[in-house]
Amino acid sequence: MTVAEFRRRVREVLGNADVRAEVAEIAAYGPDRESGNPRAYRALGEHGLLAPAWPAEYGGLGLGAAEAAVITEELVYAGVPDDAHVLSVDIVGAFLLAAGTERQKAEHLPPLARGERIATVLFTEPGCGSDLTALTTRARREGEGWRLHGTKIYTQKSQFGDVALCAARTTAGPVAMHGITLFLLPLRSAGVHVEPLPGLANDRFSTVLIDGVLLGPEAVVGAVDDGWRLMTDMLQLERTGIDFHAKARRLLDTVVDRAAATGQLDDAELAGRLAELDGAVRAGGTLAWEMVANLDRGTPDPVASAMTKWFVTEQFRPLLAAGADVFGLDGALSVHDEEAPALGQLDAAYRVGPAHRLASGTSEVMLSVVATAGWGLL
Amino acid sequence: MGVVVTTVVETSPATLRERCAELFDDELSPVLRRIGQHRTGAGPDEEDRALRAGVWAALAELGALAPAAGRTADDRVALADVAELMGAALYPSPYAGTVTAAAVAGPGVLAGITAGERTFAVAWHTEGTADPATPGPEWTHGPLSGERRFVAFASEVDELVVPVAAGVAFVPVDQPGVRFRRHDELGRGDLHAVTLGSAHARFVPADPAVLLAGARVRHAAYLAGLARGALELAVARLKDRTAFGGPLAKQQVLAHRVAALASRAAAVLAFARATARRPADDPGLPLAAAQALLLAAELARESAAESVHLHGAAGMTERHDVSLYYRRAAVDVPALGTPRQLRRHAGALLAAAHRRNPSHR
Repeated sequence: MTVAEFRRRVREVLGNADVRAEVAEIAAYGPDRESGNPRAYRALGEHGLLAPAWPAEYGGLGLGAAEAAVITEELVYAGVPDDAHVLSVDIVGAFLLAAGTERQKAEHLPPLARGERIATVLFTEPGCGSDLTALTTRARREGEGWRLHGTKIYTQKSQFGDVALCAARTTAGPVAMHGITLFLLPLRSAGVHVEPLPGLANDRFSTVLIDGVLLGPEAVVGAVDDGWRLMTDMLQLERTGIDFHAKARRLLDTVVDRAAATGQLDDAELAGRLAELDGAVRAGGTLAWEMVANLDRGTPDPVASAMTKWFVTEQFRPLLAAGADVFGLDGALSVHDEEAPALGQLDAAYRVGPAHRLASGTSEVMLSVVATAGWGLL
Repeated sequence: MGVVVTTVVETSPATLRERCAELFDDELSPVLRRIGQHRTGAGPDEEDRALRAGVWAALAELGALAPAAGRTADDRVALADVAELMGAALYPSPYAGTVTAAAVAGPGVLAGITAGERTFAVAWHTEGTADPATPGPEWTHGPLSGERRFVAFASEVDELVVPVAAGVAFVPVDQPGVRFRRHDELGRGDLHAVTLGSAHARFVPADPAVLLAGARVRHAAYLAGLARGALELAVARLKDRTAFGGPLAKQQVLAHRVAALASRAAAVLAFARATARRPADDPGLPLAAAQALLLAAELARESAAESVHLHGAAGMTERHDVSLYYRRAAVDVPALGTPRQLRRHAGALLAAAHRRNPSHR
């Protein structure tokens, strides 16, 4: 099956009536409601399509990074929230595939691939965001296992999650990068409290309090004390920017469609501005797909990946500004206003806008990677 | 015409780029970018011309002209890659015009081009403010008259290529009906005003919009290279220059500016290379080409200016080559349309494409 055929197959599944009804349903959610584990994931998972790059024994199709990227793009284009998928499959699943034990993979990957469970990430803390070496969640030896205490913040989808990949300090020492360990933390256990925090975006951040949870030795992912290297490697190597690219493309298409429908595309100045943005989105998409091809070849390039993530997400501000100009005040109408154009997409995109340059490594972290590893600066 | 020797060399983009990168190395590039850089108005002397001819022959030997006709996607990417290297080195040559001519040249002429024996200059501009996307005059036969301005290397090439309504006119320069005047300009390059007075010319049918699109894609790669070359000089300076108790390279605000422009250069080059893969009959080619060049033009302008700034006042002196990038950006950026013209052209094409096919994803 070629990648184009694969994409057609995915579009068929995402085009079915149930998925479309669910998309409309989610788009109309009120401010206190967000999607957890959409039915669309299970519709894809049923055919092994949700995690196509995983081996068949773990619920995938044994395909490559290109097919995985197609899933991410098509979820976004269809209007299905993809964050839970990115967290579960692209991040936690990828960590387990690369560093998990056979037992961890057999237990967690198949239900994630079927879209039946959600896995989330617990790295960030009140005192550390970009600088993960400063994390203070502790894991103390207790018998053969580990007892965890700490607070994680700005986590997404944990209120719906089954398990989380949690970074905790296992050894204190002079080298902060050493002594961090990754654990699989069951989110629905006594001692784990998840508190959603209302914010700008529909999808809320949660604070996760870890209050003395006891984990067995089988919860450790990778080697004890080796978590920082794993986190850095995985986040740098698996970064393609494809999820951000798809969101940028969808937003731009919404704006161009609106401009065409309202006759504004006949305005040469506006058309030129949108064409320039379209060029930048295409350029970002080209880079993102090059990163996907690098993964497929087994030659990931952390500097190019950082350039890609930075470039793609830098387009959101000008895209939102162009959207605001094209939609005018109508763009500020929420989905609950009966006159809201394009299902209130612009309002939602504006509110989530700041997230893109912050999530998965801020713009500044990306530039530092480029400056140091790419150009020998800093 | 003498015996045409064709050099058979492999032309995969990666290997050609590697071979040419050896020519445009740290030693030769600074020499190449200084060719013809004399006091205002002086123009290239005999030594300059000899050096230029030597480098051109070396390029042909390396196979840089072998893919000139751009028949396959790989060939077109290889041409963009060579253009990028030339931009980074700031190497002045008739490469752009010659490759554009190759797309419409017959087999005999093409053999001369790939062997490095025939060169061409394309006369895109009727005047400085003219938009190269505007169709040329109706002409298919008979003597050709008119004014063209800002024609690169017009006095050194074998023939001029003048875009007309339904193709191009090939005009041999060595005839009484062709007169030149070298422009004295900011980039200290080899731009000429050309007067055609009942010149002999031969018509070759072609779609000038497609020719322009191909040229724009390669020029986008050239400008991405120009940006890279300027940034490399800036980075060397930041590592060399000490201030506030350490090298400037340690200053995050400066490093991030370089990293941001370098990331844009990577995006522009990737886009230009992807666009180069599109065949001439791809209806989306002109839009993508205009977009790639627009992004590249703004990038080159900003990178050149920022790289001078990162040098401090030293960047404004002749001691530092970064000033050459700043000069050349001024004439190279608008060579195939100013950013404003490119934006308008791309806007019109985007609107037309949306009318034809609203579900464009």
